[in-house]
Amino acid sequence: MLALQLLCNGIVTGCALGIVAISFSFVYSTTKIFHVAHAGVYTLGGYVAWSLLAHGFPAPVAFLVAVAACTALGALIQTGLYARLERRRATHLVVLIASLGVLAVIQNIVAAVYTANILQFDLPWGAKVFTVVGNVRLTVTQLLTVVCSLAAYAAVMWFSHGTILGKQIRAVASNPFLAEITRLRPRRVHVYVMAIASALVCVPGVLVPLDFGLQPYNGITPLLTATIAMIAGGVGSITGAFVLAIVIAELQNMSLLFIPGEWSIGITFFIFVIFMLFRPTGLFAAAR
Amino acid sequence: MDFWLSYLTLASIYVLLGLSTNLLVGIAGIFSVSQAAVFGVGAYIVAFFLMNDVMSFLPALAIAAVCCVALNIVLTLPALRVAGDYFVVTSFGIQLLATAVFTNWTGGTGGANGLPGIPPADLFGKALEDTSSETILCVGGMVLGCLVFWLVMRAPFGRLLRAIREDELAVAASGKSVLRAKVSAAALAGAFAGSAGGLYATFLSFIDPSSFDLDSSILLLTMVVVGGARTLAGSIIGPFLLLALPQILTLVEIPTTIAAAARQLIYGVLLIVFMLFRPQGLAGEKL
Repeated sequence: MLALQLLCNGIVTGCALGIVAISFSFVYSTTKIFHVAHAGVYTLGGYVAWSLLAHGFPAPVAFLVAVAACTALGALIQTGLYARLERRRATHLVVLIASLGVLAVIQNIVAAVYTANILQFDLPWGAKVFTVVGNVRLTVTQLLTVVCSLAAYAAVMWFSHGTILGKQIRAVASNPFLAEITRLRPRRVHVYVMAIASALVCVPGVLVPLDFGLQPYNGITPLLTATIAMIAGGVGSITGAFVLAIVIAELQNMSLLFIPGEWSIGITFFIFVIFMLFRPTGLFAAAR
Repeated sequence: MDFWLSYLTLASIYVLLGLSTNLLVGIAGIFSVSQAAVFGVGAYIVAFFLMNDVMSFLPALAIAAVCCVALNIVLTLPALRVAGDYFVVTSFGIQLLATAVFTNWTGGTGGANGLPGIPPADLFGKALEDTSSETILCVGGMVLGCLVFWLVMRAPFGRLLRAIREDELAVAASGKSVLRAKVSAAALAGAFAGSAGGLYATFLSFIDPSSFDLDSSILLLTMVVVGGARTLAGSIIGPFLLLALPQILTLVEIPTTIAAAARQLIYGVLLIVFMLFRPQGLAGEKL
């Protein structure tokens, strides 16, 4: 019975991770920046929502404001930092270090304002428990996480294949030089990409802490797991990243049957090493 | 007086770490946020040997250095074999994994409580009990480290590393193995970090996981970025400046609850500002 419960928990965490992976992959495949600061955006979203709820705003308003804040932050990081560095022809390493700097700044501003202690959301309706099959129990927030994540996944698929902007983004991702001469303005597209990805990462950024609480330095592990899912799924494949995120979360949860939870980072990393040794291009890699 | 001695000692240890980070990040061009993990492994190994009276300080330090060399080779080799940003993931992963091991493996590392009562270092059968002799030992270690770094960078191997930073493809085309050079640089970086760990453990006589976490890795990176990549001067200036920062912060009235966050915040700001306006640092070369 425990196994079934863990299986369901795995799907919940996996869906949330999947959205982190998709949003990261969106940035990475388009701008080629390993956007470490994404973990900071993820963290900030939860804290913004928490503050608004603590001030008595209704949950949907808090959620939307958090999304807006993340969107603005993402666009700001792109225009204020990455675009400038690109104009100066900074090397990859320089951009990476700057991104790490942004992560440190966001996390520590949050830690200075809200302290480093765990903050719990105070939402009575969120903790209401449903019994699904047999003894498997899921909270409302867990169900909400699955629904929202699947909706976000569907929205991204539709956006990137069915809209003009989505197609432009894919064009810039596949060949920035050609995009430049066909006047797609890659720089502007990069800002859109960062804004959209930041809005997207805010969804799990708010929903996951509803269950587990908020901590300023808690963004790195999900981001790391998500990047592993992205690499294992094949860089550039949205479905690959989403599916592999669920698989990794399942493996983590199932491993709880045998190994204590504090070692789950080891499991994640082990999966990464296996992929790196045997299939570095990932499972769903697009043909190149 | 004691304050200055311990500042000098810690700074010497961090210069060794700065050299290590510089080799990896500045010279080999491998982004790394796991230097503190390697540093920690060195510290825990030396602490283990000395606390259980297995051997004296120097052989323990040698074993720690060798283990860290092996560790760094194992860490960098697979990530460098495949192209892409995989080493970023490896680096974060190793750091988080190391923190998990340091915190949860209570039998070997004392867990979150750390290991208290590590005996002081001894040289040729004589224990270095007071601060001043510890300082001499660490400064000596630093000078030796700087000498090694300087010699290596002057040797043909150093020229090869510099050439790789200029144009990797050209180096490969002239028949040199880029991978081997990078892994060798990483191995040397491991030796530096491991020895620094040993000195750190014996000097403080207490170690706990918080000295070897992601924040410490970011501090090491900031030291190299502020001091300057790829030069000896940069690796010395950075640690001395950044270790003085917490002292300066105590002059400004900030509540102790946010002091740690404020310090890390400054490191982050420094990283961004230097990358934007002075990527070569105070005394370095192009990053």
